[in-house]
Amino acid sequence: MMKLILSNFLQRPTRTFVSIMAVALGVVLVLVSVGLCYGQLTDTAERTRRIGGDFLFQPSDASLLFALNSGTLPVRIKEVLEKVEGVEAATPILAKFLADRFHLVFGIDHESFEEVNSSLRFVDGALFTQPFEAVVDTVYSTSNQVRVGDEIEILGHRFKVRGVFVQGTASRVMVPLATLQEINGTPEKATMFFIKGRQGVPEEQVYKRLRDRFKHYKITRTADLQEIMASSTPVFRQFVAAVVFLSVVISFLVILLAMYSTITERTREIGILKSLGASRSYIVQLILKESVLICAAGVTVGFILNYLALQLILANFPTMPVSITLFWKVAAAVLGIGGGVMGALYPALKAAGQDPVKALGYE
Amino acid sequence: MNNRIELAQRKDAVVVENLQMVYRVGKVDVPALRGVEITVKQGEFVAVMGPSGCGKSTLLHLLGGLLRPTSGRIFVDGIEISAVNDTERTRIRREKIGFVFQRFNLLPTLNARDNIELARRIHGNGYRNGSGLAVDEVLRLLRLEDKMRHKPAELSGGEQQRLSIARAVINKPALLLADEPTGSLDSDNSLLVLQMLQELNIRYGQTIIMITHDLEAASTASRIVEMRDGRILNRVQNLVYAREQGLF
Repeated sequence: MMKLILSNFLQRPTRTFVSIMAVALGVVLVLVSVGLCYGQLTDTAERTRRIGGDFLFQPSDASLLFALNSGTLPVRIKEVLEKVEGVEAATPILAKFLADRFHLVFGIDHESFEEVNSSLRFVDGALFTQPFEAVVDTVYSTSNQVRVGDEIEILGHRFKVRGVFVQGTASRVMVPLATLQEINGTPEKATMFFIKGRQGVPEEQVYKRLRDRFKHYKITRTADLQEIMASSTPVFRQFVAAVVFLSVVISFLVILLAMYSTITERTREIGILKSLGASRSYIVQLILKESVLICAAGVTVGFILNYLALQLILANFPTMPVSITLFWKVAAAVLGIGGGVMGALYPALKAAGQDPVKALGYE
Repeated sequence: MNNRIELAQRKDAVVVENLQMVYRVGKVDVPALRGVEITVKQGEFVAVMGPSGCGKSTLLHLLGGLLRPTSGRIFVDGIEISAVNDTERTRIRREKIGFVFQRFNLLPTLNARDNIELARRIHGNGYRNGSGLAVDEVLRLLRLEDKMRHKPAELSGGEQQRLSIARAVINKPALLLADEPTGSLDSDNSLLVLQMLQELNIRYGQTIIMITHDLEAASTASRIVEMRDGRILNRVQNLVYAREQGLF
């Protein structure tokens, strides 16, 4: 059976190639879209978590995608937050999205940030002490070839790089809070606060007190950020579902069309197989195996193209986070093959049900 | 006389009783077979002759289980194939019947050996089947041993037909059905193919039912049967009789 399938592939190389590429397209669509979406979410959640606070404090209508928020919280809320029993420290952060570079800049308050954060490690230099100084992470430093002492431009202003920190905490670039407030035109305002609980006080208690005290604000546990982001980020789920659906439809339609046309072309061949005594299940298997092989090749090509596509994206946007988990790799493969098999089912059943005498007489 | 006694003692390979086949064309019923009765003994080589449209091919398709009769009974190797469902008919076809067609019906993408191997696989229902004849032996018998790697398009008509015979007999079927096997061949190749069929019949005792328009071809059979208007008219024993009857 395998020889027959392979010989059919070689007999119709264009059809085989186009089918494989179409399935590959579906796989790339899923992996790249999901990889970029989840990469952004995972990266944001992980960086946020590593800032070190136990709770994130935002206005009630704020998004967990910080790029979508503006600075509306008065910085003086910090004092009120720190008065809540069980709160050790709170630090305000103003987030500004740099659309041309596709990443966030955080404006941080040096002193309070260090009270809350414990993970920031510098490979060179240290945290800024003056206005218009900046610190960048290792990814930014490498991709932009920036070192301590160099100048970088942020929002039309020159900043001197004061330190390079290990990537994975907060944002790629951080500047003094007051400087960013001034540039942004939002003096004394912050986008959010990170709150650190006092050691030995149960987190649940602090959370409850904060909720009771600040009923009209959004308070999120940083440990739950990724899950909450995935479920509450606007249109995220719908987008992923749409991409997955599209991918399955592509595989389904392409294989349906390819297999339908091939069984029409091969009507006589099916008649011959039936005259030899091939059962319905044998013919169904023949068509399904052929489609599975095409889809498997498409999935393989899709993974290779996905890798190349991501390399191209990262070459142009080095700070773009990408995260493709094993689950999504398996899902892309299953969707590609599953869509193809579903597409081949109708042609396979049609082929198996053909009248052998009519099939043998087919011109 | 001895041959007749011996033949009578043999088991029946094919028994057909009052076989009727009616095709429905639009709203009209077109009878193709009108009560065919025939018995073929194991090891017999029977030629079925008759004019176009007399029902020869329909009879062959019914014997091969490719069609289901409107009424009547067909026994192949003791099994009533007219009474079983499509799945069972397919199994019987796989296990007991080999086909040789006028247009060869080889798979164009496979080479000679793979065409034969495929038949063997299908006989084993997807698995390699150890029983049956050796591929090399059949290819040698049919003088195709040097053509094993050739695809059908690279073979002459005669070679293609010999290959289709090889494919049909590889699983040692109880019954070989040949539908105008020399219809697409020149006289030299026709002769060669008929000699092969004869050799298979004599050497392996292969039961063969062959449909043909060609009296020369029919003369290689041990018995000739005439069909007309969907009926078996009589049994033609020799060429002289056939010519006297003005059959051809």
